[in-house]
Amino acid sequence: MTDRLRALALADWFGLLVVVLVAGALLAFLQPAFLSTYNIYVLLLSFSLWVLVALAQMVIIAIGQMNLSVGAIGGLVAITFAGTMEVWGLPIPLAVLLGLVLAALCGLFNGVVTHVSGISAFIITLATLSIFKGINIGITEAQPFYAIPDAVKAFGAARLGGVPYMLVVPALAIVGVWLLFNRMVLGRQILAVGANRHAAELSGIRVGRVVVIAHVLSAVLAATAGMLAVARLQLGQPTIGDDWLILSFAAPVIGGAILAGGHVSVIGTCLGVVIVTLINNALVLLGIDPFFVQLLLGALILAAVMLNRWRERRREALA
Amino acid sequence: MTAVLEVRGAEKSFPGVKALDGVDFVLRAGEIHALLGENGAGKSTLIKILTGIHEPDRGEVRVFGQAVHFANARAAIEAGISAVHQERNLIPRMSVAENIMLENLPQRLGFVDYAEVNRQALLWLERLGLEVAPERAVRTLSVAQMQLVEIAKALVLEAKILLMDEPTASITPHETDVLFGLLRQLRDQGAAIVFVSHKLEEVFALCDTVTVLRDGRNACHAVPLAEIDRAAVVKFMIGREERVAKLGTKPFDATATALRLEDVATSFGHAGVSLELRRGEILGLYGLVGAGRSELAKALLGVGHVTGGRVEVAGKEASIPDVTTALHRYRIGYISEDRKAEGLILIHDVASNIGVTIWRRLAGMLGWLAEGRVRRAVAPLVDKLQVRTPSLRQRVGNLSGGNQQKVSVAKWLAAEVDILIVDEPTVGIDIKTKTDLHELIWQLAKDGKAILLISSDMPEMVALADRILVMGGFRVLGEVLNDHDYGRMSRAIMAHIHEAEAA
Amino acid sequence: MGLALLIVVLVAIFATVNPGFASPFNLFSLTRVMGIDMVIGFSMMVVLVTGGLNLAVGSIGVAAVMVGGWAMQVQGVPVLPAMAMAVAFGAFLGWINGQLTVRIGVHSFIVTLATMSIFFGAMIVLTKAESFNALPGAFVDLGRLRYWGFVSGMLPAALIVGVGLWLFFNRTSLGREILAAGANLEAARLSGIRVERTIVVAHAMSGGLAALAGLMLAARNGAALPSMAGHIGMSWLLPAFLAPVLGGTLLTGGVISVVGTALGAAMVTIITNGLLQLQVGEFWVQMFLGLILLAAVLLDRLRGVMAERRRQVR
Ligand SMILES: Nc1ncnc2c1ncn2[C@@H]1O[C@H](COP(=O)(O)OP(=O)(O)O)[C@@H](O)[C@H]1O
Ligand SMILES: [Mg+2]
Repeated sequence: MTDRLRALALADWFGLLVVVLVAGALLAFLQPAFLSTYNIYVLLLSFSLWVLVALAQMVIIAIGQMNLSVGAIGGLVAITFAGTMEVWGLPIPLAVLLGLVLAALCGLFNGVVTHVSGISAFIITLATLSIFKGINIGITEAQPFYAIPDAVKAFGAARLGGVPYMLVVPALAIVGVWLLFNRMVLGRQILAVGANRHAAELSGIRVGRVVVIAHVLSAVLAATAGMLAVARLQLGQPTIGDDWLILSFAAPVIGGAILAGGHVSVIGTCLGVVIVTLINNALVLLGIDPFFVQLLLGALILAAVMLNRWRERRREALA
Repeated sequence: MTAVLEVRGAEKSFPGVKALDGVDFVLRAGEIHALLGENGAGKSTLIKILTGIHEPDRGEVRVFGQAVHFANARAAIEAGISAVHQERNLIPRMSVAENIMLENLPQRLGFVDYAEVNRQALLWLERLGLEVAPERAVRTLSVAQMQLVEIAKALVLEAKILLMDEPTASITPHETDVLFGLLRQLRDQGAAIVFVSHKLEEVFALCDTVTVLRDGRNACHAVPLAEIDRAAVVKFMIGREERVAKLGTKPFDATATALRLEDVATSFGHAGVSLELRRGEILGLYGLVGAGRSELAKALLGVGHVTGGRVEVAGKEASIPDVTTALHRYRIGYISEDRKAEGLILIHDVASNIGVTIWRRLAGMLGWLAEGRVRRAVAPLVDKLQVRTPSLRQRVGNLSGGNQQKVSVAKWLAAEVDILIVDEPTVGIDIKTKTDLHELIWQLAKDGKAILLISSDMPEMVALADRILVMGGFRVLGEVLNDHDYGRMSRAIMAHIHEAEAA
Repeated sequence: MGLALLIVVLVAIFATVNPGFASPFNLFSLTRVMGIDMVIGFSMMVVLVTGGLNLAVGSIGVAAVMVGGWAMQVQGVPVLPAMAMAVAFGAFLGWINGQLTVRIGVHSFIVTLATMSIFFGAMIVLTKAESFNALPGAFVDLGRLRYWGFVSGMLPAALIVGVGLWLFFNRTSLGREILAAGANLEAARLSGIRVERTIVVAHAMSGGLAALAGLMLAARNGAALPSMAGHIGMSWLLPAFLAPVLGGTLLTGGVISVVGTALGAAMVTIITNGLLQLQVGEFWVQMFLGLILLAAVLLDRLRGVMAERRRQVR
């Protein structure tokens, strides 16, 4: 039992959990409104969206690459989702399906081009970021789609006490991604490729296939976030996804992911999102300039990578 | 006996080298087949063709009588071939068991069944006599343990054809014995095994048949080991009988100490290392892979650091925080064993690669570096070492291995160092250039430089060194005064290694 | 060089299809943007050679300009010293990036991702998101500088910076050392180069150049605006990467092409300007730039593969 406890304490996310609990208690103490049903609803709402964004990036960090186009894919799918319903009058399930298929195609493109060309995913996704975003702007001419079906709006606004209905989607995603990386062959293969691509290849893993699947998965998660954003905003904003980039890296890195690949933590990433959400919320509740979020977010990334490095070195020193 | 594996006329080129040039190879069920050859002869390339990592440019591969074209490693595994590769191929953060089972993770209901993973892995760990928990993360293991995990990973596939590329390079004689017992058992059950090693004693103890490669060609083809003696094998490997190049005599001043270590400990984990290196002397550091030789060199240079004891350069205590100080203040240079990763800048030209150590000295006001000055400093060295390059502007990546190595020697000559640490100088270099390099190193010592020679190539060691220190486990195990008699020297060196293991 | 030829062809096409393209007014605004994009490209180029990158170029550019604007407008510092202050401040922010990269030992991607957010957030908090739009006439006039009636002063300024960079990387020991460390860090370290210093210097240079680009943009706008590089400076990223990558600077480090970067920037500006002139609709320009980047890196890769093939056949 004590062994279990120690293992728990050594896990990537244990320190984060403590931080979250302490910060939560502190906030509740400073500002009782923090624990109000409505505030919890607001918190969970932003958590719902951001955790999907973070997972979308985390999947790619796991293979040791990065995906700058997460936001652009989310945005493109968001306006497609809203646009096809408004302009073509597509039924909701079909529009959702279309959004997911579009995302899968975007991810497929990222993955195939990266793998076949051997060019770094950074450059490829920088290019596709512009392409996807460019198509988005080109189609919408930067104007939102307003006529969202009532059912979608209702889904975006519905809640049970402090819990938004929407939370179901990210909850499923979290469980799914956790199972993928901890209990499924594909997930283990993704991690193996990220840790040592050559070794993975020699172990008979089809590296190309794994890389492409990871990109598709990333795009689908981003698309889910994009469509949830439409439901939440109650309109198809072309700017959806514009401000996802920093957050998408911040949460996995705070959660202990190694950017070189091969190691990510789903629980850590979720806690990373919680921390970001709390900071955001605290600044609003305490009436501080929202741009401090920007500042703190950056500082948090730096602190997290420093901490990860330090832990790594200490582990080496112990071994 | 039937041939389970047959290679005919295999050719493979890399930019600048023809690694295989029409190689034939045949492997039968129930034999352990030694694949020998000097470094760079093409052994690993042949293995990589058989495991789907490289595609041959020409030639035919037949497995169980069928012509095959492996598109990737998976295809080779599915055809019943498993391999231990020369370089490490483990996933550091995953457990020992998961690494061993990675080719084929057992599943239940779509999920990995970790209980089963551990159970199956444990079976092979036990057979190899490796006492580590299957759940342990690979990155916490020692080099030898990792090597054994690597071997377990190949064995677990229970393939009919097993290829082992220098599996014993970093494990102890005892672990080797256990492995050999296991391999014989597998052979007797009908497996066909290819065994690559530099240690001829091992080959004669274990193998039934031998194929020798030299410069990418067959020096001999599937000769039964019972019909051939050690001298003949060596002759196949190096193409002549005389193993040790005659280099003449080289007297040196036994009082002029260039480098002295006293009880040195380092951040890499060395302890109690003492040695003395004199001007004009070549001091050999022999040891298995993972003995801590390159690390000792790096600690001296300031890449790691010295944490205890005393370092003296030219009689004065020295503290070396970084390579810049080592080079410019103490005049110590290091020729890395890993030319591509640490020695050369392959995408830059010859002039830059040689000039890099002296730019600071050549630069004028505001760091201004005139092209002509660099050229004038570099060109004589290119001539002296007979580097074969079309011009000083040629990219080093386009030169052959031997000429690349000459460039990395030249940059330290340019820097006019007093102490030169040479780490595995002739790995992957053809025989002719190898002799050139030996003569060059020897001549440098004769001209008064102090040379610390790190090498796992026993003949090279015996040919060049004046004294040989044997290292193991980040310590000095003993010292041998070299009388250039190969048999006597190799026995003396191995004795030190065995002794350390017994203790 | 293929790029130069391509530019000539593009100019010819745009000029024939749309006479407005070659008008002195359009050429003036074209060369003005071209100069600015070149310096933005240089700013990224000098860190790319270390094998790193600098996502904070936009944030640094804006932050430095706000310092310059504040010095000129609020403190009444004369134009030249105020510009020097801005550039020095940019270099200082870059120096911070370099130090963090070296000290923490992670890729500069993550460091500059964090600092782009920090620098921008701090700038907004300190300026309260207000702009300096009463800058001295002498500064604003720099944006109106015009030679032969159609060349903006920004272009020669960028070219002079380019010449300086070329000399630095080809003819000084520090420049050569940065290239060596960028190509192979360990080999450079073992050759006695202080590799940490090369990284810090490159980042500081990048910051200084970003500040310079910011000043040029402010002179063009006639004001120092917190929003001039978009959200957290993101809108500079595409031109920053496009110019050096189109120009053949390797992302893996160690190879630089100053001329290529300048031509790359020129091409991007010409295409953007030409497309806008052709009424393609400003909304589609971003997509075209993305496609061009993709096509350029893929073509470059293809060329590399072909060259390799040829060598092996021989
Ligand atoms: N991936 C590669 N790229 C370029 N050259 C290579 C590569 N692999 C091997 N070589 C070259 O091919 C030759 C044969 O190497 P190798 O098969 O590793 O020899 P061995 O295993 O017998 O020591 C050497 O000259 C080596 O430098
Ligand atoms: Mg080999």
